[in-house]
Amino acid sequence: MITEILWWFFAIAIVGTAAGVVFSRSVVHAAIFLILSLAGVGGLYIFLTVEFVALVQFLIYGGAVTVLILLALMMTRLDATGAPDKLTGPQAPFGALVGITLLLTLVGVSLATAWPGDVDDLPTNITIEQIGDVMFTSYGAPFIIASALLLVAFIGAIVFAKQEDEV
Amino acid sequence: MIPLENYLVLSGILFSLGVYGVLSRRNAVLVLMSVELMLNAVSINFIAFSAYLDVTQITGVIFAIFVVAVAAAEIGLALAIVLRIFRNRSSINIDEAAELKW
Amino acid sequence: MSAEWAWLLAVIPACAFIVLALFGRSLPRQGDWLGVLTVTSILGLLIAIFTKTFGAKLPMLNAVEWTSIGDFSLSHGIAIDWITLIMLPVIIIVALMVNIFSIGYMRGEPRYSWYFAVLQLFVASMLLLVLADNLLLLYIAWELVGVCSFLLIGFYWEKRSAVEAAKKAFITTRVGDVGLLIGIILLWKATGTFNIHELISYVEHGELGGTTLFVSMLFIFLGAMGKSAQLPFHVWLPDAMEGPTPVSALIHAATMVVAGVYLVARLLPMFEAAGGMMLIITLVGLATAIYSGIVAFAQTDIKKVLAYSTVSQLGFMFVALGVGGIGAGMFHLFTHAFFKALLFLGAGSVILGTHHHQEMRNLGGLLRKMPITGITFAIGSLALMGLFPLAGFWSKETILSAVDYGPGSWAFILISIASIMTAFYTVRLFLRTFTGEPQDAAVAEKTHESSLIMTGPLIVLAIFSVFAGFFIFTDFSKAFGLPGGISELIYLHYPKHFSVHWDLVGYSMALVVIGTFFGVWFYWRGSTERSTKLAEWQPAIYHMIQRKFFFDELYQFVINRIILGISYVVSWFDRYVVNDTGVDGSGELTKYSGFVLKHLQTGKVPNYALAIVVGIIMLSLITLVLRG
Repeated sequence: MITEILWWFFAIAIVGTAAGVVFSRSVVHAAIFLILSLAGVGGLYIFLTVEFVALVQFLIYGGAVTVLILLALMMTRLDATGAPDKLTGPQAPFGALVGITLLLTLVGVSLATAWPGDVDDLPTNITIEQIGDVMFTSYGAPFIIASALLLVAFIGAIVFAKQEDEV
Repeated sequence: MIPLENYLVLSGILFSLGVYGVLSRRNAVLVLMSVELMLNAVSINFIAFSAYLDVTQITGVIFAIFVVAVAAAEIGLALAIVLRIFRNRSSINIDEAAELKW
Repeated sequence: MSAEWAWLLAVIPACAFIVLALFGRSLPRQGDWLGVLTVTSILGLLIAIFTKTFGAKLPMLNAVEWTSIGDFSLSHGIAIDWITLIMLPVIIIVALMVNIFSIGYMRGEPRYSWYFAVLQLFVASMLLLVLADNLLLLYIAWELVGVCSFLLIGFYWEKRSAVEAAKKAFITTRVGDVGLLIGIILLWKATGTFNIHELISYVEHGELGGTTLFVSMLFIFLGAMGKSAQLPFHVWLPDAMEGPTPVSALIHAATMVVAGVYLVARLLPMFEAAGGMMLIITLVGLATAIYSGIVAFAQTDIKKVLAYSTVSQLGFMFVALGVGGIGAGMFHLFTHAFFKALLFLGAGSVILGTHHHQEMRNLGGLLRKMPITGITFAIGSLALMGLFPLAGFWSKETILSAVDYGPGSWAFILISIASIMTAFYTVRLFLRTFTGEPQDAAVAEKTHESSLIMTGPLIVLAIFSVFAGFFIFTDFSKAFGLPGGISELIYLHYPKHFSVHWDLVGYSMALVVIGTFFGVWFYWRGSTERSTKLAEWQPAIYHMIQRKFFFDELYQFVINRIILGISYVVSWFDRYVVNDTGVDGSGELTKYSGFVLKHLQTGKVPNYALAIVVGIIMLSLITLVLRG
C-alpha cells in the first residue's frame, strides 16, 4: 500500500516537473525542473527493481548532463541590458495540438493493447549480476562501439567548443 | 500493485510534454532539455517492458543503458554546437538560424 | 587465294580511300598513282578468284556472325555466284580505265587527290554491294555508293548547277532508297533473315508469298528504280552529268546505275513469285526505254544524249529481267558497261580537246582533229546501236529472244521501236559531233587530240566493246573462267543454251539499219537542215520533247506547292505545339512550380520538427486504422 502511494507521488512529481521544464518562463527554472524530473525518473527505476540503472540515471543525468546544461546556459546568457528573448516561439499552438494528439494516441494504444502474460505485478527482481552477465556476453560489441562513440563525441565537442583563434 | 499500463501512460505523458517542448521552444538549450525528457520517457518504457515481460533477456534494460550513453554523447556535442552558434550570432534562437535555404 | 579472301576486294580500295583522304595532298603527284595501283591490285585478286571459281560449285558463301541478340542473330558475309562474277570484272575493269583516264582528264583540277579518294571509296562500296550476301549489308553499300555519287556529282561545288544536281540526285534516289529499306524490313519481319539465299529458298518452298511478298518486292523495286533511274525517278541522271566526265562513265553509266538491275536480278526468283511484279518491271522498263529514247532525239549536249541513252539501255535491261531473261539482262549490263563507259570517256576526251565545249552546235568535224577519239567513239556507237558482231549486238539479241518468249507481241514491238531509237540517236550524236564542217571556227582551231593516258583507256575499252559480246558463247567464256557462260541462263525457268537464230539476227540488223537510215538521212555530214525543218513543222511536240515531257516542271510544282505546304503545317505544329508547348512548357511548369513550392522550405528547425512529428503521428494512426 505504501508502495502505491509512493509511486503515485513520484509519478505526479515527474509529470509536474516535466511540465515545468516545457512551460517555465525562465531558463534557469527550466533547468532546475529538469534536474528534479530526471531524478524522479531515477526513483521510478527503483520501483522497477533496476537499481543499477537508477544509479546511472542519478550520476549521468542528474550530475553530468544537468551540469553541462547549466554551464551552457551560463555561457550563452546575453547582457543584462538587452531585453530577454521570448522563450516560446509562434509555433506553440501547433505544438500543443500535436502533443495532445500524440498523448491521446499513446495512452489509447497503451490501454487498448492486450499485453501478453501477467502484467499486474512484477514477476521477479532484476539483479545487477544479471545485467552485467547479459551486457558482457550478448552485448559485448555494442558496448565497445558505444565507448568509441563517446570518445568521438568527446573529441568533437572539444573541437566545436574551442575558440576560433585557438585552433 | 502497480500494473504495466501505469508506466506506459506515464511515459506517454512525459514523451508528449517533450514533443511539445521541442516544437514550441525557441531557445536551443530548452529544446535540448525537452529532447532529454523524450529520451527519458523512452527509457521508462523500455525498462517497464523489460521488467514485466522479459525478465530473463532484459533487453530493455540494456537498451536503456545504451540510451543513457548515447544521450550523454548527444548532449555534449549539441551543447558544443550551441556554443559555436552563440559565438557566431550572439543568439541561440533556433528559428533565426535559417540561412541554409534556397 | 580463294573465295574466302574475296572481301579483300572491298577492303583494299577502302584503305586506299582512307590513305588518300588523309594524306593525299602530301603524296607525290597527289596520290593519283595510288588509285591506279589499288584497282590494278584488285584486278589481280579478281583473276586469282576466277581461277578458283573455275569449275567450282556456285554460289560460294563465306559469312561471319556479326552480332546476336536473343533469338536474333545477324551475320555478314560475302556470296559469289555467277551474277557477282559478271559484276566484278565490269566494276574493276571500268574503274581501272577511269582511274587512268582521270589522271589526264583531271590534271590541274582543284581537290585532285580528293577526287581520287572518293573514286576509291566508290569502288570499295560498289564491290561490297555486289559481294554482300545479305540485304542489310547490301543496303549499307547501296547508301555508300549513293554518297559517293553525291560527292562526285557535286565535285565542282563552286558551280551552283552542280550543287543543285547533287542534291537532286541524292533526294530523288532517297525516295527509292526508303522504299528499299521498307522492303528489306518487311521481308525480315516475315522471315527473320536478311540473307538473300535463305530468302530465295523461303520463296521457293512457298513459305513466303502472297500479299506480303508482293508489297515487299514492290518497295524493293522502288529502290531499284531510284538507283537505276527508271521512270519516274529518271530525272536525276541527266543532271548528274554536272560531275566530272570520267565519273559519269564509271558511276552514271557502267556501275552504280546498274545496281538496280543487279538487285532485281539477284532477287528475280522472289520477283517472279510475287504476282504481277514481273509485268510491272517489264512495263517500267519499256516506258523508260521509249521515253528516254525520244528525249535523247532533242538533246544538244553530248553528255545529256549519252545520259538519256543510259537511261534507255537500263530500261532494256529491266525489260529483259521482267520477261524472266535474267541472263539477257545481266549480259546487256555487262556489254553496256564497256561501250557506254567508252562513249562517256570519249565525250570526256572531246570536252577536254575542245576546251570545255560539249554542245553539239559548237562541235562538228572532230574526226580529223581527234582521230583516235573519233574512231573509238565510232566503235562504241556501233556497239551501242547493236551492229553485228559487236558487243551490243549479242546482248540486244539475247534480250530480243527473251522478249520473244515474253508476255506478248506488244512488248516485242515496243522493244523493237526502242531499238530503232537507239540507232537513231546514236547516229545523230556521232554525225553531228565528228563529221561535217566545224560549227564554230574558234573552237575547231584550238581542238587537239588527247594524250596517250586518255586515249589508252579508250582503245582498251574499244577492244572490250568489240569482243565482250563473245562471252555469250560457252567456249569463249569458259576460256576466261566464267563457268558455264552466260548463255545457259538466258531464261529463268527454262535454262536454254544460246544459239544463233539467223532470222532474229536479220530482224535485229533490220532494226539497226532502219534507225541508221533515218539518222543518216537527217544528219548526213552533221547537217541539221532537215531536222530543223521537222522541228519547225511541229514546234509544240519538239518543245515538249526538248523539255523532257515537263517532268522537272511537274516535280518542281509538286515540291513547291504540295510538299512545302505540308511542311509548313508540320513545322508550325512542331514549333508551336511540340516545342513551345510540349518541351518548353514542361520545363516552364517545373521551373514555376519550383518557384512556388520553394517557399515551403522555411529553413527554420521547429517547422521541420513539426512536419516530422505530424508525419509520424499520421503514419501511426494510419497503421492503427489499417490493423483495426
